[in-house]
Amino acid sequence: MATNAEVPFKLSVPDSDIDLLHKKLDLTRFPDELENAAWNYGAPLSDIQRLFEHWKTKFDWRRAEAEINKLPMFTRDIEVEGHGTLNIHYVHQKSEVQHAIPLLFVHGWPGDFLEVRKILPFLTKKSTDYPSFHVVALSLPGFGFSEAPKKPGFAGRQYAEVFNKLMLSLGYEEYVYQGGDWGHLLGLHAVTHYGHQHIKAWHTNMAVCRRPAFLSHPLVFLSMLTIPFNKSVKADLEHSMVWRRSGQGYFAIQSTKPQTLGYGLADSPVGLLAWIYEKLVSWTDAYPWTDDEGKPDFARSQSTMLTRSSVIEWISVYWFSRAGPAASTRIYYEMTGGGKHDTFEGTKWTSVPVGVSYFPKELVRLPKSWSYTLGNLVFESEHDKGGHFAAFETPEKLAGDLRRMYGMGGPAHGVISGKPGYDEA
Amino acid sequence: MTSWAKPFTVDIPDSELTLLRDKLERARLPDELDDAGWDYGAPLGNMKRLVAHWKDTFDWRKAERAINQLPQFTTDIEVEGFGPLNIHFVHQKSSVENAIPLLFVHGWPGHFLEVRKLLPILTASTPDHPSFHVVAPSLPGFGFSEGPSERGFGGYQYAEVLNKLMLSLGYDEYVYQGGDMGHILGVHIVNKYGHKHVKGWLSNMPVHLVRYRVPSVFFNPLLCLELLTAPFNKRLWNDLDAARQFSKGRGYFVVQATTPQTIGYSLADSPVGLLAWIYEKLHKAVDNYQWTDDEVIEWISIYWFSRAGPAANVRIYYELTGGNKHGMFEGTKWTSVPFGISLFPKEPVRVPKSWAHMIGNVVFESEHEAGGHFAATEQPEALAGDLRKMFGKGGPAYGVVRGKDGYA
Repeated sequence: MATNAEVPFKLSVPDSDIDLLHKKLDLTRFPDELENAAWNYGAPLSDIQRLFEHWKTKFDWRRAEAEINKLPMFTRDIEVEGHGTLNIHYVHQKSEVQHAIPLLFVHGWPGDFLEVRKILPFLTKKSTDYPSFHVVALSLPGFGFSEAPKKPGFAGRQYAEVFNKLMLSLGYEEYVYQGGDWGHLLGLHAVTHYGHQHIKAWHTNMAVCRRPAFLSHPLVFLSMLTIPFNKSVKADLEHSMVWRRSGQGYFAIQSTKPQTLGYGLADSPVGLLAWIYEKLVSWTDAYPWTDDEGKPDFARSQSTMLTRSSVIEWISVYWFSRAGPAASTRIYYEMTGGGKHDTFEGTKWTSVPVGVSYFPKELVRLPKSWSYTLGNLVFESEHDKGGHFAAFETPEKLAGDLRRMYGMGGPAHGVISGKPGYDEA
Repeated sequence: MTSWAKPFTVDIPDSELTLLRDKLERARLPDELDDAGWDYGAPLGNMKRLVAHWKDTFDWRKAERAINQLPQFTTDIEVEGFGPLNIHFVHQKSSVENAIPLLFVHGWPGHFLEVRKLLPILTASTPDHPSFHVVAPSLPGFGFSEGPSERGFGGYQYAEVLNKLMLSLGYDEYVYQGGDMGHILGVHIVNKYGHKHVKGWLSNMPVHLVRYRVPSVFFNPLLCLELLTAPFNKRLWNDLDAARQFSKGRGYFVVQATTPQTIGYSLADSPVGLLAWIYEKLHKAVDNYQWTDDEVIEWISIYWFSRAGPAANVRIYYELTGGNKHGMFEGTKWTSVPFGISLFPKEPVRVPKSWAHMIGNVVFESEHEAGGHFAATEQPEALAGDLRKMFGKGGPAYGVVRGKDGYA
């Protein structure tokens, strides 16, 4: 495996890129909007215009950049069979606990590596009460500050190869995995190829899978017969139908014509903002919000996830990404063969221990019994708050679940011999 | 009621041209995978060339002068529940006094200029063919027509605008031609105003899918029997495959039917984004038609400079499907208004031709050897020829409009 040495990474967007962004913002042309459209037709004009104002006049990228640079970041070359070498960007935060559990955290779309930020302090903290982790959080190829694949066909197997080689290059022969969104779907691919041998256990906050078939999962299949009588499952399926009926446009276009979509995302800051912001709101447990005057505002009462600054910072990472915003959408095409098959193609059931966290505003909620098809289900946790971006919205809950799953007395405690997450007392 | 039509010329302000040029000069293009071709969407090489053409070569004022050779007007049309909309249209009369009034309706991503090549043929005065007075509007929210400002402007609202437009011009009875959305709206207009006002119509995209269902055994037994022959009938097999693709809902369709506002920001703000979104369709849906760069850029410019802005037109997908909750033919039924179909081999949106009988009283059918989705642009003689045959002497819909058979 021809990997080069690790190189420390400091984010430094060229001045010319920032200038171009601001020139474009100055030239922004907004669409009109129907009266009383609210969220029915997509991201509302007033929201986008408010965010645009903030981006144009208040948001300080250099300050955000300096904060990001406080994270221990690196790049290294990873060779991928048939795809040459990709330069991969990642955060690598070690715990002071020597025998901490190596954990790979994988984001999705429209997420990024920074989703690890809030759970890092929880996971790497030393305590006798809960386990500690060495955390690796990469930018997926084509996202954030990793290079993008140059050839067609970069799919599940290839992503898994990147993950595994990255962890091995850091000296982590055995590790655990956490992901939601693509992090979850790629997790299924990762354990298919490297489960047991390298990936000893994994956790997901987006438990989606194929519908269980009778022959492969007879008990789960039979449990489906109780669905008409199970109120909470029915409620979950209703919730999921919303995504299926009206939330799938991005999936349809990105899995078939990502390049066509990509021109607008690369060229229009406001276009990119709207495309992603729509998901930040509809997929989170963060709307509606009101300020002191009862008017819609971004500072949410329980969580400050969607402040104007945090939204613009989020979009800026996409805008300034190494490969550009269009590259990130190709994962949908590659993982579905251009919309021809589902994202589970090429995965198989493994007995690798898996844990699941259920958050109420996750975009799709399937019957919980189906989680058994993800692997050897050893841990489940249900929450009453939170949505799709669990690590960002409710970091303490997600970290809490990982601590319980891997901690002493937990169902996945000691999966990695010699790295229980605690040092000797 | 409606006001008298006012003459109209396209006259885009200099400030708009300047803004466009400023944006094109600062265009930021994406990367592309090696050897992607058209698989992932509009190719980067093509896009770079078109952007450069738009920025450096294309002369909008010259195109504008040519467009203004067409006799254009605007008039206010009152729509029940929506107030008046100012509608832009081409109105070319024939020298033949009793020419047949014809309403030509474009689709998406089409526009009123698609009538351009048909005009000289349809309005020609000749003893061999019927002549037409042609009305070609910009649909509300497209081209230079105002768009609705409230929710719920559906198929029957478009039909109301179109019918009232014809009535305001003194055409109490008329015939209709459309493809793409022009076909969908055609189904609506004949449902609401068929026989009384719309006396006959021709579609070059004669599809019908009620709730994406196939012919039912009870209502369409003969069509079902035909389906059994599919494994042995290559043409039928291809048509069924096309139908399946159509009903699956392609990417642009799902986006525009569910979140038109979200995609609207890119379309309104980025000429490059708008170009890609539409150019991909222009390329894909034609039968080997060699678009010139000028043609493509002029086409996109109509969208870029449109009165309601580029985000407004995509809403038609949302409004006609209730936000992707039902099919576009919801609320329509079979009618006995004389119906003609023009079949072009490379029309991507097609179903087995016999299914046209589920739409209406098929009195005319014409199959062509060449041509695709944008028939009026690709095969104007063929399409105009079909109108002439259907409505001309000896044709199945001759004389449908009282006192206006199309001949001197």
